[in-house]
Amino acid sequence: MDETQLIKGIQQGDRKSFQILVENYQRMVVNTCLGIVHNKADAEDLAQDVFLEIFRTAENFRGDSKLSTWLYRIATNRSLNQIRKNKRNRFFQSIEETFTGGRNRASEISENHGDQPDRNITDQQRKELLHRAIDRLPEKQRIAFTLNKYEELPYQQIAEIMEISLASVESLIHRAKKNLQEQLLDCYKKKCV
Amino acid sequence: MKNECIHKDLIFYLDNELSFEKRTTVEKHLEECADCRSFLAFLQDGMQIIEKEKNPEVSPFFYTRLSARLDEKDEHQTQSQWARLAQPAFFSLVLLAGIYGGLKLGSNASSTKANQRATSNVQMLNDFAAEPIESFLLDEL
Repeated sequence: MDETQLIKGIQQGDRKSFQILVENYQRMVVNTCLGIVHNKADAEDLAQDVFLEIFRTAENFRGDSKLSTWLYRIATNRSLNQIRKNKRNRFFQSIEETFTGGRNRASEISENHGDQPDRNITDQQRKELLHRAIDRLPEKQRIAFTLNKYEELPYQQIAEIMEISLASVESLIHRAKKNLQEQLLDCYKKKCV
Repeated sequence: MKNECIHKDLIFYLDNELSFEKRTTVEKHLEECADCRSFLAFLQDGMQIIEKEKNPEVSPFFYTRLSARLDEKDEHQTQSQWARLAQPAFFSLVLLAGIYGGLKLGSNASSTKANQRATSNVQMLNDFAAEPIESFLLDEL
């Protein structure tokens, strides 16, 4: 069953077509979301939201672009929205912590790292450092970098997904790497890992 | 180049994005500079994390969960469609009942007023003469 047939089936509410589409693209969508939110469970939840949106809005798909392009667009938008929502929640949590004296957070940290061996802590710290560095990138740089690094997409396809020129993608990825390198260098000099 | 660190080029060196000439210069510098070698290893470790974590195994129940959410949504949509129809109908009925009740109460109130007027015209029976207060009190004792 090719893409057009799948979409036609979904537009008619056919669950079998939808299942085939999900099975074909679930790894791709989860991986894209993971590159932005850095948590597998969250990435899977987001991927489910992406597929639900596809099922609900399939009739709007005109076939101007590839199905994967459409999926990437929805996945990146949803992931960025989730990050914005998390930021808002963290803001309210920090307000709450100022009133509770930060007890909740302290207990959370001790629970997470209490009985892990040193090496795992270093790996975990390195991972968190990289994720933090990626999260600090401006949104467009983050999307371009994630699609290129996690999904190994060529610049041309990233340009189609982001609806920008090829030169802009090149520039975004170059700046993203430069920013990452600066942040990692800063940490390297401070010996934070 | 020998004394100056080339940290800023290393991420592009890792990704093979330098020209041949630049790449050769970087490689020469790396042979002599321990600090740049160390930072390159640090960068490599960082970038390895992406390689390790990408393409995770998707949960085998992914579609089952998705399908359940879809059913839930369908059911919810059907319910909300019913609710969309039933709610205005219910509130219209309540409103009509209220108006009808109000009208009824209003008409009852006007008839009560007429009754009150009729009552006020009736002469009160004066039975004081028939049973004086003294005899009434004496009977109680």
